[in-house]
Amino acid sequence: MKTAALRYSLLGVGFAVLICAAAAMYLRASASGEIPRVQMNAENVGPRQIEDLTGKSIPRDYALAWQTMAQALENNRTDMLNGYFTGFEKDELTQRVKSQIKSGLHTRYQDRGHKLEAIFYAPAGDAMQLRDRAQLDMQVLDDGKVICEEPLNVEYVGIISPGADRWVVRQLQAVGTQKP
Amino acid sequence: MKTLSSFAILLFAVLAAQGAEIHPPAQVTAGTAITIPTSGSGDADLYLVGPASASKRKVQAGSDISVESDQLEHAGRYVAILCASDGCASSSFFVNPAAANRLSLLVHPSRVPVGSGNGISTVAFVFDNFHNLVLKPEPVKFSVLPKGGSEVSADREAKDGVAWVRLTSAKKEGPTKLGAAIGHANEVRVVQQVAADACNLRIKASRVKNNYLIETDPVRDCSGNSVPDGTVVSFTMTDAEGKTTVDVPIKRGVAKIEMPIKGRARVTVASGVVTGNELEVGG
Repeated sequence: MKTAALRYSLLGVGFAVLICAAAAMYLRASASGEIPRVQMNAENVGPRQIEDLTGKSIPRDYALAWQTMAQALENNRTDMLNGYFTGFEKDELTQRVKSQIKSGLHTRYQDRGHKLEAIFYAPAGDAMQLRDRAQLDMQVLDDGKVICEEPLNVEYVGIISPGADRWVVRQLQAVGTQKP
Repeated sequence: MKTLSSFAILLFAVLAAQGAEIHPPAQVTAGTAITIPTSGSGDADLYLVGPASASKRKVQAGSDISVESDQLEHAGRYVAILCASDGCASSSFFVNPAAANRLSLLVHPSRVPVGSGNGISTVAFVFDNFHNLVLKPEPVKFSVLPKGGSEVSADREAKDGVAWVRLTSAKKEGPTKLGAAIGHANEVRVVQQVAADACNLRIKASRVKNNYLIETDPVRDCSGNSVPDGTVVSFTMTDAEGKTTVDVPIKRGVAKIEMPIKGRARVTVASGVVTGNELEVGG
């Protein structure tokens, strides 16, 4: 009777370990490979209304911006920032990557999605301001060892502008945390 | 006595097992130095990860650790991590923008026809000295200074770091300065106001040898501004042989063309969407 209980306990623990390992592998894979989920609400934007095509391209480009930023910070590659960042934001992130290289650090983001709200669209269509409620898991690694791991519910304010064939991020500023 | 000593040992063990802790202030103003109190003891590593930096340095756990102002210039979320022999502890805090003192001004378009209702859009993004977007409401002073005219200004409150106005261009052509000011920042852009479409386009005809010289009066817009040289005027002649259209750019304020006309012909003129008078010549 006692042996059977022990056997079932071990089986249960083994099963739990297996599930955790599978979840960890899945999360790691999606951190680098998948495009983050971005939902955009443009109901209250002004003074200019968002055109249909713009309403589709912004969530796509913003998601790609987050994906490339996560890749840049995980792999310490400044070249990943060339596609979707410009101006001060690109300078800031480049500085961050360079200082990570100098300190031997890496930052890994697991992106759980963004709720984007367009809050200002310039009359000439040359800039848009967004509010992003982002859900992320962040790990800071020193020499491959995780030294900090935390789930984040952070609110960002961003400014994006149209480039030649995409929207690029000019400013992305975390302004506070929020309840999940 | 045995119970008491066991309790003392347990208490000591619990205290000894307590890891290093770190307690940064929850909110910091950009460009301000801070001190981060820590607990624990022994050698430790302090990591500070922010929007534009990630640093690592050796510290003594249990002491107050100072962070220089230049490490906290970028607004956003920072994580302070203290790793001692017994593990790592972390705490996050936010750096908020400092006082508004910079502007990024977008003015569109750079050339605008006179009298265009809400034809000029001016958007100002409000920043602090470290290029952080200042989100709290701040008054931005917009001003318009036409060439040879007096300045007109209006205040708009920035919302979430953005203030904007739409302006109607003046009736008179020429450059006009558009400015926005906040704190010590005063950004100015120049918009060239150009004549609008031609107005009251009129032509006249005169005989030159065997041809007719068809010539416009000086081409002006409805406010009396000269339509710029190079603007195309189209002359269309309809006679017994059919219809002929010739495009001519304005030179020195007028557009003219010599046309060989046999018999009676009707000549019309247009510039863009504006049509002028009609002439009957020949016969």
